[in-house]
Amino acid sequence: MRPDTWPMFADPAIWGFFFEGLRETIYISLVSVALSFIVGIAFALGRLSRKRWIRWPSIFYIEGVRALPVLLLIVYFGIKGSALFRPIFGPDFDLPRFWAGVLGLSMYTSAVLAEIIRAGIVSLPRGQTEAARALGLSHPQTMRFVILPQALRLMVPAMMAQLTTVIKDTSLVGTIGVFELLKQGRTIYTQFFNPIEVLLIVATIYFLICFALSQASRRLEVGRAPREARVKIRDIELRDQAA
Amino acid sequence: MPGGIAFEFPELFFTGLWLTIQISVLGLIGAIIIGTFVALARVSPLVPLRWIGGAYVEFFRNTPLIVQLFFLFLGLPFLGFRFSTDTFESIFRAAATGMALYHGAYVAEVVRGGLLGVDRGQIEAARSLGLSYLQMLRHVQLPQTFRSVIPPLGNIGIALVKNTSLASTIGVAELLYAAEIVESRTFRAEEAFVAATMLYLVLTIPLGIAVNALERRMLVAR
Repeated sequence: MRPDTWPMFADPAIWGFFFEGLRETIYISLVSVALSFIVGIAFALGRLSRKRWIRWPSIFYIEGVRALPVLLLIVYFGIKGSALFRPIFGPDFDLPRFWAGVLGLSMYTSAVLAEIIRAGIVSLPRGQTEAARALGLSHPQTMRFVILPQALRLMVPAMMAQLTTVIKDTSLVGTIGVFELLKQGRTIYTQFFNPIEVLLIVATIYFLICFALSQASRRLEVGRAPREARVKIRDIELRDQAA
Repeated sequence: MPGGIAFEFPELFFTGLWLTIQISVLGLIGAIIIGTFVALARVSPLVPLRWIGGAYVEFFRNTPLIVQLFFLFLGLPFLGFRFSTDTFESIFRAAATGMALYHGAYVAEVVRGGLLGVDRGQIEAARSLGLSYLQMLRHVQLPQTFRSVIPPLGNIGIALVKNTSLASTIGVAELLYAAEIVESRTFRAEEAFVAATMLYLVLTIPLGIAVNALERRMLVAR
């Protein structure tokens, strides 16, 4: 056995190091969620579109991406991300690791959010759409002013639950060299040979954040989504829990 | 042909696929066993048991699986525990154990929902007919739970298959690992990842269709 290494954690420098990782973790989750939210709305609407050439690609994207491991997407963008953007930004372009991670995470999360938002939209009573159309609103106006605001509000708890998944998933972008919380921890324990202590600390930090978020989302759940929507959300939550 | 590279490196891709399947199956069996016991603890009449069950679920659901895998793979040897003397066997078992522990927490929540969904009157009737708590579980509550949890368990199975890709981070040569190796040997990233993608889809899409079909039938039945 190696000597006890707990005393080293009294040093504020170590905590500064963890904090840098935590900051990166939070940045990358917020950027990914914001991006996925926009893309997710687009694909949710695409999947509900009447036009086949919009609907089918949307279904293909959502179902295809949801069936893939998020780590595969992250590793792919980590390896090929730069090459993908070279036609646009010139031959010397180098995609920062951070953005490669964001791309991988967002691609996956956007497909999941699209399904959550779609569940919210279809769970609204048809009368809402019909009334809006009867009052003379066009289809885009109906979506913009009547359907989406209600659907999104209904789905806030589900989207918060997905945020905890995203935060857990950010631990994967360390594999392509983003210095997030887990990667910082790995740097420490490869120096000091104390994986137990470091991993317990890292796990505790993740736990505190995710537990608080999931409790908050459960508290909000009091708002009542219809039964079909709840079944759908439960499925999404079970199937799309990645790491 | 997209994914044709898999046939150029069959020893990597198809061995990888086989390892992915093995970890998924072992992980799912383990998760169902762990999840059932944790769920039973969570609804048991004993308060400390309920508390332990709740703590298990919250801890494993709210920490990343990769952290748990690293702990099993790197942390446990420091505590004097090894899964096996053989390194490859050891990481394989660590990965399967990690999958079982993590997804066990999700299974526990699903099974708990199923257990609580059984009409209380039936439980009281069984108890007043003189069945012990365990007999009541065995003959009344668990059989009814089993039916309602099948579709959600299928969803957890899909998540599990996808999450086996994380085993590559501790060195298990499963599908994603195969793709990375082939990419680093040939620089044909697109082909390697398309091949891995297709092999993952071969596993997850049929599972997804089966789960959806089951679900639709159960929605009608209720």
